[in-house]
Amino acid sequence: MTLHHHTASVCAAVESWLQPDNDQLREAIRKTVDGGYFSEADIRHQIRHLKHSVTPKNIGIWAEKSGLKPGSLAGKRVLCLHAGNLPLVGFQDVLAVALTGAAYSGKISRKDPWLLPSLIHALQEKGLFDESHYALTPEDLPAKPADAVLFSGAEESVEIIRKKLKEHRLAGIQTPFLRRTAGFSIAWINDNSRDTMESLTEAVFRYGGNGCRSVAVVVAPFRFTDHICGFTDYVESFWLANPQHQKPPPSLFHRYAYNRAMGISQSWLHDFLIEDTMQLPDHKFVLHWVEGGEKELRQLIEQSGPRLQSVYGTAHAGDTITGRTIEPLSSAQAPPVWWKPDGTDPVRWLLEQLS
Amino acid sequence: MTFIFDENLPFEKRCEAVLGHQLENHSLYRTFANTFGIRAEEISGYSPDDIPLLPIRAFKQAALYAASGSPEIVFRSSGTGDMERSRHLVADPSLYRLAIDKGFFRHFSFDQYTVFCYTPGYADNPESSLIWMLQHLVDSDPSGLSRFLTLGKKMTQNTFSTTVRQDKKVLLFGAAFGLLDLIEMDSEPLPEGSAIIETGGMKTHRREMTKTELRRILTEGFGISGGQLHSEYGMCELLSQCYALGGEWFEAPHWMRVTIRSADDPMRVCQPGEEGKIGIIDLANLWSCPFILTEDRGVMDERGRFRVLGRWNPDDMRGCNFLIEDEL
Repeated sequence: MTLHHHTASVCAAVESWLQPDNDQLREAIRKTVDGGYFSEADIRHQIRHLKHSVTPKNIGIWAEKSGLKPGSLAGKRVLCLHAGNLPLVGFQDVLAVALTGAAYSGKISRKDPWLLPSLIHALQEKGLFDESHYALTPEDLPAKPADAVLFSGAEESVEIIRKKLKEHRLAGIQTPFLRRTAGFSIAWINDNSRDTMESLTEAVFRYGGNGCRSVAVVVAPFRFTDHICGFTDYVESFWLANPQHQKPPPSLFHRYAYNRAMGISQSWLHDFLIEDTMQLPDHKFVLHWVEGGEKELRQLIEQSGPRLQSVYGTAHAGDTITGRTIEPLSSAQAPPVWWKPDGTDPVRWLLEQLS
Repeated sequence: MTFIFDENLPFEKRCEAVLGHQLENHSLYRTFANTFGIRAEEISGYSPDDIPLLPIRAFKQAALYAASGSPEIVFRSSGTGDMERSRHLVADPSLYRLAIDKGFFRHFSFDQYTVFCYTPGYADNPESSLIWMLQHLVDSDPSGLSRFLTLGKKMTQNTFSTTVRQDKKVLLFGAAFGLLDLIEMDSEPLPEGSAIIETGGMKTHRREMTKTELRRILTEGFGISGGQLHSEYGMCELLSQCYALGGEWFEAPHWMRVTIRSADDPMRVCQPGEEGKIGIIDLANLWSCPFILTEDRGVMDERGRFRVLGRWNPDDMRGCNFLIEDEL
């Protein structure tokens, strides 16, 4: 099978899975919504985005960017430890394994137990994995040691997870292990035009602010308090169409009380807090608004280190600052299929480790 | 204000008085508490567990002060370079002395022990609350034998010969990394009957290690039993200390209340065995802020003792986190 044939088959299988008449996907969405795992609006957003991004052309671009060869990793086995903080957050890893031709083992998140399995099932039906297994618990995966592991999560949990995988004979201590530990993104805006504020609202509030591509820090040439009414209008409109599924814990109110005592400018949106603080995120549901420009952005990038996923911009998209290429703000929650979590293309990484 | 240390008064009563003082005299804490609906005129019978605890970073970001007049001492937490450091404004050092004495002499006495401090001296670090405490203890020893040891110099039997001749035991105070340095310098074992109080402070050491590993190395290195290796839990932001005698479980003195608070809801007190952030009410902090939510991770046992498990790590709260406890 040629590379083109293989990538076209993978793409066709995904396109077919995304069709509105796919009963399996519809059922998976229904169970996910009924189970309270994610909101229907967030799932629909993800599905709509995948329909736009997973095209033969884009898959071809990804294959070329990553140096994919036909049957590159046939006979190899890749274990994916999927997170579950966003609907279908493991989509790219599944697709990456399918493109390389490796066997797939997936530990599905208990927080997203229906959506990803429906994709895996669709790829299995089309014979696109040499061999594949998935389960909600490691005990239920066949004890076949993987040649590589794809993982997203906290740095300090890596060693514990490696030991667990060894116990379950799913991977050795020395098995190549791709760790993605980024936790948030930064937006640099230059104006408060309708386009900018709508993109910013989507980038901040989609998925309740969860996920490393979500914006937790904004750098703007104006204070948010100067335009708070306008901004909250956009937020309210967004929440009308996309009610926030996950509510913040009471610790958010505790933070609000603290800011109030400290005289920190803030806006309490009940489900979210916007505060005028130049600091790195340490709490979910908080947007840090920094009045400043390139100097402040550089400082934040340097302080963030590996915790930072992406820097988005409006006027400066495409520029590079402190080693970071600025991505369009509008792509925050709609990344290209070849986007690089923590700066690493999973296909290229697998090829480098296992070819 | 010595009613704080009056054990005949129930803690709740003393706490209520201190809360009232804070609400009347500390505008920052008042604003914080008011946000939770707490007003000075409505605190009668208020449970200490229902008092909102101010996040400890407030000591870095503001001057927490509930007294008139200038502070007599300003303690600063350790830190380097651009690190934000906590500032504790102390209006009345006599309260600190009382808290030190009542905590320390409950467990140790100068009839039995001589205190040796393997830490910088007061002249080198006058802003450290720990060094201030140790200097106070050294000054309090009527025998005059207690002292600071020379940093970077290993301990030998000569170091303690006068103490041993006078039939006293050695009580060695030091931060964990300093004590490890002493062992690496091939210090000789401590005289029989000696004890150690380690004061925490592993974060600047060359490598991380568990508390259990630390205890093993210290007991073997100094030739003492585990029962003689004690820990002290104190910090720049607190005027009182907790001690863990011969183990890792700390007990608070009667003018302090330590609880474990849910990180998701700091108003909720965790059940024994449930991990959370360590919350502290230290009545000796009357003139600064007695109601503090630390960033230390801790757990309580059924007897009301607590263990310090490290720092609460806020990283990866938003990221694509694979949570071990949920998933494996």
